[in-house]
Amino acid sequence: MVLKFLDHLEEWLITFLMGAATLLIFVAVIHRYLSGMAIPGVQDFLLTLNLSWAQELCIYMFIWMAKIGAAYGVRTGIHVGVDVLINVLSDQWRKRFIIFGLLAGAVFTGIVGTFGVRFIWELYHTEQVSADLELPMWLVYMGLPIGSYLMCFRFLQVCYQFIKTGHFPRPDHGKVEGIETETDPIAAAIEADDQIRMGGKS
Amino acid sequence: MTTAIIFGLLIALMLTGMPISISLGLTVLTFLFTMTQVPIESVALKLFTGIEKFEIMAIPFFILAGNFLTHGGVARRMIAFATACVGHLHGGLGISGVLACALFAAVSGSSPATVVAIGSILLPAMIAQGFPKRFGAGVITTSGALGILIPPSIVMVMYAVATNTSVGQLFIAGVVPGIVLATMLGFVTWYLAWRNGYPRLPRAPFKEVLRTFRESAWGLLLIIIVIGGIYGGFFTPTEAAAMSAVYAFVVSVFIYKDLTLKQVPKVLLDSAALSAMLLYIITNAVLFSFLMTSENIPQAMANWMIEQNLSVIFFLLAVNALLLLAGNVMEPSSITLIMAPLIFPIAIKLGINPVHLGILMTVNMEVGMCHPPVGLNLYVASGITHMGITELTVAVWPWLLTMLVFLVIVTYWPPLSLWLPRVLGMM
Repeated sequence: MVLKFLDHLEEWLITFLMGAATLLIFVAVIHRYLSGMAIPGVQDFLLTLNLSWAQELCIYMFIWMAKIGAAYGVRTGIHVGVDVLINVLSDQWRKRFIIFGLLAGAVFTGIVGTFGVRFIWELYHTEQVSADLELPMWLVYMGLPIGSYLMCFRFLQVCYQFIKTGHFPRPDHGKVEGIETETDPIAAAIEADDQIRMGGKS
Repeated sequence: MTTAIIFGLLIALMLTGMPISISLGLTVLTFLFTMTQVPIESVALKLFTGIEKFEIMAIPFFILAGNFLTHGGVARRMIAFATACVGHLHGGLGISGVLACALFAAVSGSSPATVVAIGSILLPAMIAQGFPKRFGAGVITTSGALGILIPPSIVMVMYAVATNTSVGQLFIAGVVPGIVLATMLGFVTWYLAWRNGYPRLPRAPFKEVLRTFRESAWGLLLIIIVIGGIYGGFFTPTEAAAMSAVYAFVVSVFIYKDLTLKQVPKVLLDSAALSAMLLYIITNAVLFSFLMTSENIPQAMANWMIEQNLSVIFFLLAVNALLLLAGNVMEPSSITLIMAPLIFPIAIKLGINPVHLGILMTVNMEVGMCHPPVGLNLYVASGITHMGITELTVAVWPWLLTMLVFLVIVTYWPPLSLWLPRVLGMM
C-alpha cells in the first residue's frame, strides 16, 4: 500500500517536473519576445513581469527530476550496463554478478546519500541562497539525498525480488516505448500495403 | 600507475554488468577513500553542481520533443513525402527510407528513435513490395544512425558538456557531413537495388509531391525552429530544445491528432525516465573527469603524446580505433562523456579543431551503433524485423563499410565539418 503510493508519487513527480519545466522555458522565451513588441497595454503589463529566474528554476526542476527519475529508472531497469561478458557466463555465475551489481548500486547510492545529508546539514547552518530565486540552498539541494536514498532503496528492492523470483528489470534494447512492434510481420506487411496512407499506427 | 589503477578498476566494475553510472561513481569513491588527499567535501559539491548548467538541460527537452514526434505521426508523413520524391528511383522504398531517416534525424536527436519511427512503418511496406528482408533491415539500421549526426543531436550536447565547446557550432557543423553521409548511403542503396533489380514505384505526380510536402511541412518546420533559431541567435540551444518540445506537442496533439491528450503524461514520464538516466550518467562522469583532472591524467597523457612526436594523422587514427573499440561495448553517451575529456586536451595541443573533433567522435558513435555486440540500432532493428543479431550484422555490412569510408573522410578532411560554420561566421 505504502509502496504503491511511493511508486505513483515518483511517477507523478517526474512527469510533472518534465512538463512544468518545458512550459516554464517556453513561457519565458515567449515573454522575452512579446515584451519587446510595442503592443499598447500588453507591453506595459509584460514589462512588469520579471522572468529572469526561469532558467534557474528550470535547472533545479531538472535536477530534482534527474534524482527521482534515476530511482524510478532502477525500478524499471533503464540504467544501461555492459552485459556482454556476464551474458556468456553460466547461470549461476551470472546470477552472482547481477546480485553483486545491484548491491554495489545500493552501496554507492547509500554513501552518496549520506554525503548529501552531511552537506545539507552544513548548508542549513549557513545563509546561502540561490542567485535569482533566493531560495535557501539546503532546500534546493535536498533532492540529492532524497533521490539517492530512494535509489538505494530501489536497488535493494530489485535485488530482493531477483533473489526471490529470478527476474529483474533490465533495459530492453529491442523495444522503444510507444511504438508497438509488429508481432506478425506478414500480416503487418499486408496491412501496410496501402502505400500512400502508410497504414497508420498498428 | 594511478592511471592504470583508475582505468583497471573502472573496466573491471563495468564488466560485472552493473550500470555504467554506478561503476563510474564507485571508481571515484574507491579511489578517494584509499589513495588520494582530495577532500571529500569538494566531491560532494561536484555531486550537486555537476549538472547545474543550462546547456545540459537541452538533453531532456530534445528527448521530449523526439518522443512527441515519434508518437505523433510525423514519421508517417515524412515517409510519404520521401516516397513521393524518390520512390521512382531504383530501390525506391529503400532510398525513401534513407531520405525519411535523414528528415526525421533533423527533428530528433537520437538514433534508435529514428530507426523505430521510420523502420516500424517502412520495413513491413518494403517486404510487402518484394524487397528482401535483409536489404530493408540494412538500410534502416544504418540510416537511422544519421539521427545523432544531423542536428539536433544528444551526443553532440554531451560532447559540448564534456569539453565546453559551443553546442550551436557543433550543430551547424553536423549539417554538411549529415547530408553527405545520407547521400552516400542513398547511393549504395541505389547501386545495390539497380544491380539486383529490386522493385521501384511509379513516378509520383507533382501534385502528390506537393500534397505530401504540405502534410509533412508541420514536422519539417521544426528543423527551421531549431537550426534557424540557434543560428539566427533567437534562442540558445536549450531554449530551442524547449521550444521544439512544445511545438512537437502542439503538432502531434492538435494538428496531426495522432496523439491524444490522455497519452501525454505517458510520453512525459518516459522522456523523464530516459533523461534522468542520461543525467545520472553525466553526474557521475563529471565526478570521474574531476578525479582524472585532479590527478593530472589528461595533461600527463597529452604531454607524453607530444613527447613521442606523434603526427596528427597517427593520433587521429588511434582515436578512431579507440572509439570504435569502445563502441563495441558501450553506448554513445557514456563513451563521449568518458573519452572526450581524455582526448580533448591532446587534440588541442596537436592543433585539432574542437568542433572537428566533436563531429569525428559523433561519426564514430554512429558506426558503433550499427555493429555488434552493443549496437543499439541493431537491437532496435532486430525488435522490429524479428531477425537475429547475427543475420542483421550480415545485412548491414555494405552500408557499414560506406560509413567507415565516410569516417575516414571526416577524420582527414576537416573542411567538410568546418566549412559551413566558418562561412556562416559562427567560428
